[in-house]
Amino acid sequence: MTSYPTRMGDGHLVEMTTDELRRDFVAGAEDAADRAGVPALTQGEYERLLDLFTNPARVVGVESGNEVVLTHDIGTLRLDGDQGNSGVGIPMGRLQGVQVHERAFACDTMELGHVDYSWKPVKPIIAQEQQALEMVLLSTIIPIFYGAMPNLGLYYAPDGPFGNPSDLLPAGKIKEALEAQEHAVEHATRDMVYICSKLAEVGGDAVNFDTTGAAGDADFMATLNAIEQLKASHPELGIQVGMAGEFVLGIHGGFRYDGVRLAGLYPHQQVKLVEKAGADIFGPVVNTNTSKSMAWNLSRAVTFVKACVEAAEIPIHVNMGMGVGGSPVFETPPIDSVSRASVAMVEIARVDGL
Amino acid sequence: MARQAVALGLDPLRVINEGFTPGMRQVGDLFERGTMFLPEVIIASEAMVAAVAILEENLPAEQKEKQAGIAVLGTIEGDVHDIGKGIVATLMRVYGFKVHDLGRDVPLQRFVDEAKSSGAQLVGSSALMTTTMVGQKQLEKLLKEAGLREQVKTMVGGAVVTQYWADKIGADAYAENAQEAVAKALELVEG
Amino acid sequence: MGDPYGMPIAHGVAAGMGGIRTAGDLVARMQLAQKMRISEAKAFVADKLNIGVKELSDVTVMREIREDLDLGVITSVPGCAKGIEAKARIADLLGIRINSVERLKAKMGRA
Repeated sequence: MTSYPTRMGDGHLVEMTTDELRRDFVAGAEDAADRAGVPALTQGEYERLLDLFTNPARVVGVESGNEVVLTHDIGTLRLDGDQGNSGVGIPMGRLQGVQVHERAFACDTMELGHVDYSWKPVKPIIAQEQQALEMVLLSTIIPIFYGAMPNLGLYYAPDGPFGNPSDLLPAGKIKEALEAQEHAVEHATRDMVYICSKLAEVGGDAVNFDTTGAAGDADFMATLNAIEQLKASHPELGIQVGMAGEFVLGIHGGFRYDGVRLAGLYPHQQVKLVEKAGADIFGPVVNTNTSKSMAWNLSRAVTFVKACVEAAEIPIHVNMGMGVGGSPVFETPPIDSVSRASVAMVEIARVDGL
Repeated sequence: MARQAVALGLDPLRVINEGFTPGMRQVGDLFERGTMFLPEVIIASEAMVAAVAILEENLPAEQKEKQAGIAVLGTIEGDVHDIGKGIVATLMRVYGFKVHDLGRDVPLQRFVDEAKSSGAQLVGSSALMTTTMVGQKQLEKLLKEAGLREQVKTMVGGAVVTQYWADKIGADAYAENAQEAVAKALELVEG
Repeated sequence: MGDPYGMPIAHGVAAGMGGIRTAGDLVARMQLAQKMRISEAKAFVADKLNIGVKELSDVTVMREIREDLDLGVITSVPGCAKGIEAKARIADLLGIRINSVERLKAKMGRA
């Protein structure tokens, strides 16, 4: 039987027959369906995936007219980053980095960010960030986000004032671990509202809460609280929320927003709370399993995201970076996989953007 | 519940193997699926440890539950991301490992020193970043230089780590998530 | 994450609207300003430009429209609206508020 070149979740080439591809499409979709309690893909959608995987073209694309908006995260770090963060280490200012994205990469939107890419360290240098944003806004046309991660890890020892749940929980200090997270939520919310308000005051288009939930449900709680407060005080400020994983990790377990427990929520449930808080765009994340095939991973990711798109009332811009959204965990991702993931998300999951 | 089992005259070993252990396996599964949360896992693991202690008191000496193994775990120096590693440590304890969790940002030599002093059979390292995963390769070298590599099995994990990387640096196992890490750890120590 | 060629460029080629080469920024503006889903945002912008939805991503159509309406173009053309000048015209065209343009108006005492 003919076999087709495809990849594993770590990016390495493998060959699979149509039977093997079909088997992995179904297994991936059913895994997502089982975990999130959402429908698996339809027969027609599996066949569309098969078309993509058996297409001999190196790069595939959506049909003309199906293009979607491409939003960007990680600021300009992709260009100037030289700290092992997938940046290509070109020494340049952030203004030039944004302009390169607008005029050389033809991006639909772009983002300004701080080198640490967490909200907390922005607070003491907010005047610098405001002015960097002012300069970008004067000289660019596309919508400009300011992005950073809630990263509640920075509020725990040794970087922050509160005990670290990663130390407290294994020591059996459950009450202390829960309290530390509750304090961190309070402080992170205050910091994010302060910083984003300052960015709104200088005319920023929008802010992006990126990799929300990376430090568990406390991370998501702080973000939802911050969005709600920001929308009340600065309704003109656009807000995008990008997640860190396919379900909210329950490091606390008791946080609730609008009566809903945050821990364990999957993308189609996360988006409803993000909407309720007032955000404008939501970026779900589905993690790639490096031991499984691209067929399994992409089918699974599309299943989660399709359910999220159907549940949503706001635009869904799925996260498609390294190791998420059916893209391989490989720092310089193979473009055959990336382009197939793009097409599947747009034409099967029906996302509003990437 | 353990005391009740003893009072009813049930075989303590069967209670552990057919009652508590499958229960904890289910706790691990539920956590991995996002339907059970870390504090609950911790409480369940503490309950498991307490129950096993009671049941073991009632076992004949030759049947005493054996420790699964001794493991040294930590996140590579320069990397402060240790939520995942902490979860692995918790689940490994649940499955009977004595875990020396060195925490985050751990100098490589500390892994070696701790492995030597604790008599560990397993050294597990975690790295979230491409800049720190190279430390896992260096750790393999340090363990060899210390003459420990024949005695200990090594496991690697973390967001950017893959089976390919594990094979490349000569680590004995790679795991995708905490539940799989425990299963692989058990395989390694049981040979 | 991922290098520029492997990630944003690959996604852009496979599925992106094309930024200021075409009408990508305009559609993105409507998503942000009014939470419009992609088909609604594209239909809205196409209607404002009096073109078909497919033409929003057609560089031959959009290049001319952007020059004619002075919305800013991707290449370096003397006299074409740059930066905030283009955004001011985009805000008028789409009938939306762009925060940096509002700020400029305030600085000019015209808010």
